[in-house]
Amino acid sequence: MATSSGSEPGPSREGEENKEKDERMFECNICLDTARDAVVSMCGHLFCWPCLHQWLDTRPNRQVCPVCKAVISKDKVIPLYGRGSGKQEDPRNKVPPRPPGHRTEPENTNGFPGFGFGDGGFQMSFGIGAFPFSFFTSSFNFGEPRPNPAPVGTPQFGEEQFLSRVFLYIACVFILWLLLA
Amino acid sequence: MANIAAQRIKREFREVVTSEEVQRCAIKLELVNDSFTELRGEIGGPPDTPYEGANYVLEIKVPETYPFNPPKVRFVTKIWHPNISSVTGAICLDILKDQWAAAMTLRTVLLSLQALLAAAEPDDPQDAVVARQYKEKNDLFRLTARHWGAAYAGGPDRNSDFENKIRRLLDMGVEEHKARVALSSYDWDLERATEQLFS
Ligand SMILES: [Zn+2]
Ligand SMILES: [Zn+2]
Repeated sequence: MATSSGSEPGPSREGEENKEKDERMFECNICLDTARDAVVSMCGHLFCWPCLHQWLDTRPNRQVCPVCKAVISKDKVIPLYGRGSGKQEDPRNKVPPRPPGHRTEPENTNGFPGFGFGDGGFQMSFGIGAFPFSFFTSSFNFGEPRPNPAPVGTPQFGEEQFLSRVFLYIACVFILWLLLA
Repeated sequence: MANIAAQRIKREFREVVTSEEVQRCAIKLELVNDSFTELRGEIGGPPDTPYEGANYVLEIKVPETYPFNPPKVRFVTKIWHPNISSVTGAICLDILKDQWAAAMTLRTVLLSLQALLAAAEPDDPQDAVVARQYKEKNDLFRLTARHWGAAYAGGPDRNSDFENKIRRLLDMGVEEHKARVALSSYDWDLERATEQLFS
């Protein structure tokens, strides 16, 4: 298929106009250029962070939005991160860094215990707490015996032996991890 | 920072030149030098005001710190208005002072000045003499403002009564503008104006 160059100037020009309109939507309200290190005020007005910072510095007693004159402040602006932003930092940009975005973690609704990282931490501390207790009681048996020690040879006894060995193993791994970390 | 100022004036200039107000001859903007630090504005007197049909030239100086600080604007064309000095053309308008906002442009400044011509603020005057006349003898104020528009800004209706009084003073060797100021200030009372001029 041949590219019809110039045969349909109408639609392409319209598209260019629309593109220009789209670009103007992202112009900083102060320098009228495409906003760099873009921030948006709570009243919804877009600025370059360096531009807005300079405006707020120029009038320390009158911190208002340059567009609608709503009261604004440096820590109540929201940075805008587009795709590919943050790659090219302007080294001439000597103003304080753009304030970070405020984000809240979603509520943890994890239904599988032992799956997430947080549960791993829980297992670790359980291992320390349980290890000496079961180690001393089941292996050396000094101090008061447990209220209901399982008789030797029963399946319950074997289970307890196995559990204490597991705890010992976990504890060793944990100590090793502590030494290496 | 001067770079921002020049860059912005360039963009604004393009915006005003292609705006619809220009096509209606309501506002105009011209460059005075290549460095974008000085411009010449022009506004048409709003309809249904004593300034209708007249055109007012403005001197616009763009500071290095623009747009963080407002441009310095002054009427070059002489005008009779409570918020504009009849002597220096200095303007008393909040957006050119503490109410300036960095998102405002030369276009919004010109439109605000046009709005000021339509709605004076006599309680916050720049020219006390004009403000007094505006409040106490509003009909005479309107005639005087229209006469000044005709004399200095290409407006219609020079007002033959006022013209005759000025001619009387010219015959006494008084310079025309001085005569007009004296008569306007004394509510077109020829006797008191003469007294003031020769005292
Ligand atoms: Zn900007
Ligand atoms: Zn705003």
